[in-house]
Amino acid sequence: MGQQHLARPVTVALVEDHQVVVDGVRSWFGPSGLAPSPVELVAQGPTIESVLGTDADVLLLDLNLNGTMVIDRVAELCQGGQRVIVFSEHEEPETVRAVLDSGASAFIGKGRATRESCVETILEVAADRPSVTPPMAQAIATDERPHRPQLSDKERAALLFWFQSMSKASVAARMGIKERTVRQYIDRARVKYAAAGRPAPTKEKLLICAIQDGLIQPDEVTIYTSLAAKTPPDQG
Amino acid sequence: MTEEIEQVAQRYARFTALGAAVIAAVWHIGYDLTVTIIGWTAFRWPWLTLAAWIAYSAIFVVALRSLTRTSRGPARILELALATLAIDVAVILSLRPGELLGISDWAWGSVGWIAVMLVWGRPRWRAELIVFLVANAGIMLAAMILTGTLDRVSISKYLVVIAGGITMQLGYTWGCRMLLSRAEDAVLLARRLAADDALRESAQRIHTDRLRRYAAIRDVAESLLQQLDDGADPGDPRVREDCTAGAMRLRRLITEREDVPDELVSALRARIEAAERRKVMVTAPPFGDYLPGLPDGVREDLLRAPIRALDGARSRARVTVSAMSTMVSVAVVADNDDLPIIATPVHEPSGVVVTYQRQGGEVWVNSIWQGP
Repeated sequence: MGQQHLARPVTVALVEDHQVVVDGVRSWFGPSGLAPSPVELVAQGPTIESVLGTDADVLLLDLNLNGTMVIDRVAELCQGGQRVIVFSEHEEPETVRAVLDSGASAFIGKGRATRESCVETILEVAADRPSVTPPMAQAIATDERPHRPQLSDKERAALLFWFQSMSKASVAARMGIKERTVRQYIDRARVKYAAAGRPAPTKEKLLICAIQDGLIQPDEVTIYTSLAAKTPPDQG
Repeated sequence: MTEEIEQVAQRYARFTALGAAVIAAVWHIGYDLTVTIIGWTAFRWPWLTLAAWIAYSAIFVVALRSLTRTSRGPARILELALATLAIDVAVILSLRPGELLGISDWAWGSVGWIAVMLVWGRPRWRAELIVFLVANAGIMLAAMILTGTLDRVSISKYLVVIAGGITMQLGYTWGCRMLLSRAEDAVLLARRLAADDALRESAQRIHTDRLRRYAAIRDVAESLLQQLDDGADPGDPRVREDCTAGAMRLRRLITEREDVPDELVSALRARIEAAERRKVMVTAPPFGDYLPGLPDGVREDLLRAPIRALDGARSRARVTVSAMSTMVSVAVVADNDDLPIIATPVHEPSGVVVTYQRQGGEVWVNSIWQGP
């Protein structure tokens, strides 16, 4: 289902109330050298309502709009099938967990975001593939709530090192494994996280794609079986 | 201060409870045993009297153990109370006719002290003690009626002993309860005052910290605006670098929580500010609110190597803290060219493990403590 996005740029709607940030994001999405940008900003506004109805692949959402935190709006957007990436400086693990539980596909911390990391995250999310940014890695690894997903020691270590190191290559060197294996640990942890908690269409898309990619087996977690039985709309 | 007051209240509870036991013991040995031995021939069945004295002693020991351990009477007192009243009846039965209300009839004035011990610290102590004392008085009155001991002298004796016993036993218990109640009030008041003091101190520290942060934010913004106002070219890479560093610092200051920071976080913030004064661009995601308590020496071992990496950063650094209930991890990634790297993990005596890695012009120093 993600392949459809390769033919055209991924469309993004941005909810952000600071013009300087809007201008910055717009410059990120502009063409880089001769190559056309893989991401296109198709709508932008200072409130959620101002971009509703836009048929964008991904909604990039600032959490603090005109002084009001809009964490509680994330669930309603995701329940409607909208892929949401939260773009905020509120990187506290509790906040990140709250938006992921609500169905947000990713969380980009404003403090460390770069053009490359932001575009990479948007492309992964648009393709319904697991994307784990450093703030997400910390939030998932340090989750001690009773209903948290069961991560293996290596999955947790890979997440923590990814949050605290400079790159996945350095995590691989630290753990004495290949970088590809590090990615696998991190992605599996993300998928387990999507399978836990209340369901959302955005989480289901991620799980289906993870099964198709062989990242997890359908019988590994009960919820995966029922989702694997479904026929994705663009495969039918 | 609060601890001292709580200790005084605990001592009150303990020693007033033991006071009741001392009275009962002195009475039982000093009076009950004496009249049992001296008046041995006055009893119809002296061995029954002795058995009653021993049974009384056994119940006393049970109550005393409970008071010693918990400053309260035993959990189940109904059986013990009925057994105590049975002692009363046994002593009456063992007396010769005409000895009722006599000097050898020790039980009915004495069992009230056992009742005092049994009901000690119970929520319904007053009602339970009164029921017991009324039952005791009723048993003696029934014995008087059955033996026809209803002359004026006997009735007067009866009233004097009942009034005296009830006054002493109920009065002692009530007085001690009042004393304990006042002590508990004092403890509550002391705790409230201590909590108020802690809140005031905490508010003061938050206020001071907030003023410090506002001053820092103002300084950063003022310095950048002043540069631009003085004609600095926004296209100049150095000006842009200053603006980026200023923006990073502003973001960090704005996202810092207003709570009183943990000592580990305070130490890190101080070093971050020192690095920023050296024009190092520092990114530091929020450190979180819930760091676990750390054993002695762990904080120092967690901070030592990462702070060395931060202090030697040339132009940029990233500082992160991850914490769970039994784990704290502190890391610094910085362009520190001079930091000596140790290839294998360093195990500190406190249990902290420090690892070093150099890659692409940056050093990653990570210290981790895992609790039990």
